[in-house]
Amino acid sequence: MLLDLKVGNLTEPVSGRNWDSAEIGHQVARRIARFKRHRLAPGDRVFLPFGNRLEFFVELLAIWRLGACAVPIDARLTPFEIDTLVTAALPRLAVVDDATDAAVVEALVAANVGVVDTVDTGDEEALAGLSRLDDDALILFTSGSTGAPKGVVHTHRSLRARWVSLREQLGVAAFERTLCLLPTHFGHGLICNCLFPWLSGQHLFITPPFKPEIIMRLGALLDEHRITFMSSVPSIWRLALKLARPPSGGSLQRVHCGSAPLSAHVWEEIRRWTGTRQVCNAYGITETGSWVAGLSKADCAAEDGLIGEGWGAVVKVLRAADTAAPLDAEGECQTGELGFVWLNTPALMKGYFQRDDLTEKAVIDGWFLTGDIGFIDAQGRLVLRGRERDEINKGGMKIYPADIDAVVERFEHTADVCTFALDDAIYGQTVGIAVVLNKGDDATIRALHQWMTAHLAEHKLPSRWWIVDEIPRTSRGKINRDAVNAACIGLPSLDLPKILAGGEQA
Amino acid sequence: MSDERQQQLQHLIEFLRTVQKPNKPIEQIGPDENLVTSGLIDSLALVEIVVYLENTYGIDFGAHGFEPERLSSMSSILEFIEQART
Repeated sequence: MLLDLKVGNLTEPVSGRNWDSAEIGHQVARRIARFKRHRLAPGDRVFLPFGNRLEFFVELLAIWRLGACAVPIDARLTPFEIDTLVTAALPRLAVVDDATDAAVVEALVAANVGVVDTVDTGDEEALAGLSRLDDDALILFTSGSTGAPKGVVHTHRSLRARWVSLREQLGVAAFERTLCLLPTHFGHGLICNCLFPWLSGQHLFITPPFKPEIIMRLGALLDEHRITFMSSVPSIWRLALKLARPPSGGSLQRVHCGSAPLSAHVWEEIRRWTGTRQVCNAYGITETGSWVAGLSKADCAAEDGLIGEGWGAVVKVLRAADTAAPLDAEGECQTGELGFVWLNTPALMKGYFQRDDLTEKAVIDGWFLTGDIGFIDAQGRLVLRGRERDEINKGGMKIYPADIDAVVERFEHTADVCTFALDDAIYGQTVGIAVVLNKGDDATIRALHQWMTAHLAEHKLPSRWWIVDEIPRTSRGKINRDAVNAACIGLPSLDLPKILAGGEQA
Repeated sequence: MSDERQQQLQHLIEFLRTVQKPNKPIEQIGPDENLVTSGLIDSLALVEIVVYLENTYGIDFGAHGFEPERLSSMSSILEFIEQART
């Protein structure tokens, strides 16, 4: 599974902890021995509801060396959401850390999942090398944590195809000292920002994810650790450009920004702040192993939505937007003509975990329908202009309105609901919700808030609420979330703090 | 507390109501209590406080630099406003 003969060093800049490759070897060997004691077998799945610390990476290597499959999970999910994922994925074991919520551990135990603490390894060491190229290596759940989970399955072969293509396109020199500020439970942070450099023998510096207090000191962090590469999302730059002093050491050689569109203005501001012109908009999709296109040589004029060329991928813009029929060369858009972005790459996922129905809607003949809209410019580069995907991009974290709707629909007094994206100065987008209740008094609203808090991770909770008489629908009965947003935005939203405070006073 | 400072505090409370988490009444937060660790606001909301101070009091953070600790409580924000304006 390594891309080179050894992994790079691991450092936690915030805690100061550091493991070199020899120590990493011992840590992995202890975990292999521990997993063997727990009878972990090839093909078993292991939940990892923690991340962004040294132990996460050695757990991952140990799981892979035993031929098992790792399932990194967002540590912020509620016990209800964890239980939904457990029911879908049936993990053999879960590895937790001291920050894992006790209620999450209880939910895992109640579901008959063996739970081990990541630091509880013992001293025994063992070796293994059981992984095969077409084994499932990684499952990343992208949506459905409240209902029907959608898990992207990558094999060792698809992951390796991604990393090898990045190595061919970008080399590894610029990644010598890589910083990751992003969560390790999603593709961008894990597969590309962390694993590509680290498994290629480069030094990885890992911080807790999305911590403003770290981002505000980003310049000092880059200088202190002579960071050569970092990836990011636009919300990091909204913070850093305003509040962090720029680095002065000149160590940065390359910067990626992904998971959300990058404007030309912010792009140039990032170049000015970082001191390198090698800044690019990395087009990452979990299903294609994240970074699937970008600018290998990024020293060009910044343009809104400019991505660049495919990295280990053929990129086509077509008029077709479904997988009902094989793709046809006649349907290819002309230069500059807007259409739907399709990708053909050996790094494509094996499929959605036990959801062939969803896989068939997204893939035909190996071509993946991204849900993005764009065009190919005169230089043959991909430029993105919009998305057709039903998602809210909150600072690079994808939130799926249907997940929130599914929870609210189950509340006893809900008659109808629509969750939608709201523009936000800090996050780019945040969550708004319109609800039709058959009892609209404050006590019912407080009960709904309590219901949502119990079932949804905090970052998914709507920031603004509207109680409405009806949710407008199309003639075919479908919800148009943009139309609901437009109908609500001019109306006053609920004063939720006041309503909730009323409950405490009562 | 001077009238001006009292007015600044009221204005600040009104602003914080617009960025706070819904389930934490601001009335329960003491003037010296940490706004983030008390659960009133998300730490990202510090940026919105910065924008508020820039727009309302004309404070230039480029000139003053940014230390999150100086915006940690309502008292420290009022103190910062006073120092930045002198």
